[in-house]
Amino acid sequence: MRSRIFPSLSYLLALIVAALFALPLYWAGVASLRRPDLPPAPALEWWLASPHWENLLQIFRLLPMGLYLRNSLLVVALAVPLTWLTAALAGFGLARLPERVRRPLLTASVAVMMIPGMALWVFRYRLLLWLGLADSLWALIVPAVAAGSPLFVLLFYWTYRRIPSDLYDAARVDGAGPWRLWWKVALPLARPTSFGVLILAFLMYWNDFSGPVVYVRRPEWYTLPVGLQLLKQAEATNWPLLMAAAMVMIVPIVPLFLLLQRVFLHNLLHEVES
Amino acid sequence: MGWASFRQHTRNESLQLVSFLSPYLLGTLLLVVFPALATVFLAFTSYDAFRPPSWVGLGNFQQLLSSPLVRLSLYNTLVFLGMAVPLRLVGALLLALLLRHPRPLFGLFRMVVCLPTVIPEAAYALLWLWILNPVSGPLNLVLRALGLPAPVWLANPESARLAIVLMAFFQLGEGFVLLLVGLQSVPRTLYEAAMVDGAGAWQCFWKITLPLLTPWLLLLTFRDMIVSLQNTFTPSFMLAYGGPDYATTFAPLLVYELAFDLGDFGLASAMLVLTYLLLGLLIFGITNIVVGLRGSSDAV
Repeated sequence: MRSRIFPSLSYLLALIVAALFALPLYWAGVASLRRPDLPPAPALEWWLASPHWENLLQIFRLLPMGLYLRNSLLVVALAVPLTWLTAALAGFGLARLPERVRRPLLTASVAVMMIPGMALWVFRYRLLLWLGLADSLWALIVPAVAAGSPLFVLLFYWTYRRIPSDLYDAARVDGAGPWRLWWKVALPLARPTSFGVLILAFLMYWNDFSGPVVYVRRPEWYTLPVGLQLLKQAEATNWPLLMAAAMVMIVPIVPLFLLLQRVFLHNLLHEVES
Repeated sequence: MGWASFRQHTRNESLQLVSFLSPYLLGTLLLVVFPALATVFLAFTSYDAFRPPSWVGLGNFQQLLSSPLVRLSLYNTLVFLGMAVPLRLVGALLLALLLRHPRPLFGLFRMVVCLPTVIPEAAYALLWLWILNPVSGPLNLVLRALGLPAPVWLANPESARLAIVLMAFFQLGEGFVLLLVGLQSVPRTLYEAAMVDGAGAWQCFWKITLPLLTPWLLLLTFRDMIVSLQNTFTPSFMLAYGGPDYATTFAPLLVYELAFDLGDFGLASAMLVLTYLLLGLLIFGITNIVVGLRGSSDAV
């Protein structure tokens, strides 16, 4: 009796929750396609008879959104692969070093993860100025040298540690050094983690708002999030255009997020279970 | 190959492994550890970036604490943390409990719960600006349709603060995923044994799930205090720029204004140190309370 009511009740609850989390996004999508010159809708709109796709072009005409988009893409194109490379290498170093070297480095990595970006604003900006990297895209790309976040290094570390040591030993007997071990043995087996880190790093750089606001003060190097803020100042209550701009930032991450769930989160949850 | 040459080989190998780590270690030292430590030092100096920093001792802290705006922003920060962190924690736990079992469609539901967390902050802020619009925003349209009062969200200090908490609530994806993993690590045999002994779902939760999750919840509380505080920057910057009546001026926005609008890097650093001292005290207090509670429940 109870076992029958319970699942259907949890389905009902789950549906309500999903609606609560997803519907506002859907309504915003609909709102982004309304004609900007019409008065705001008196009730929630589920469907538009004639979607006004012009809005998407209009925001690129009002502000140099194309430039901001190019800058965002440049940051992602350079920072994401660099983050992946640094994290994949550092994770391997951690996994293969002797215990007494590894322990303090792991502890330090976890501690560094607790330092919020805001605690660095003041001095990192001065530092970037001295290095000649402030007020340019380099200010946003250079954290990739530090693997973006220790989290990415730790994700690789955990993956490499789970690889049976027989595999490493066999390759070492064949005379493989650390570089060959990493490239031929460890990296191919860490493919889901590679995927996961690439996607998480993309989200991190693509979504970053405080980074460009704090470290980049030249309009020619603004990225999309700053463009959204400028559009908000220019067209404060033009909801169709503002929602269209938000959608330009949101839509590219949806397929990536789907992929993340497929190859990474799914594995994470099931590995722990087994 | 003799033993000596094998030793030689491994030493060489260790050196190569260190070179694997060097970009990460050097980058983190230069871009994270060094700036964080330098900020603590700058907090005790007067520094405007034109002249070298000069030592002022606790002067910055005295100046900050005597300012009503600083005190208000610390109060706002505490109110925000006091509402947002427990709400996010309980929300993430309830959702993880609801969606923990692999059932058809539940994978999709889990993703939907994470969606607000992965949306770019700037787009999320614009979205909420629209949601909260008193006339045409969906929130008030729904509230009015239900016959409930529809506040002028961002025009009133109390409701503006509440709106930022509401925004933060829906970004609970990180805690949700972490707790799903945590729940997965609870051995199923424990539940089976409890069921045999006649325990209901309610007892299973209080006697098995919650005690085993306590370390996860504690870790999440600390991380959430740091993360959700930092995450108030974008909403308070984009929604009302700290207003109305400075009600959404949280610590991060004030740090930004002190450093980059006023150019007073010493004062901004002191504000950072003050904020994290406050967080440290909170974390210390919470740890003591939780440890005390566990001790007393063990004694019973």
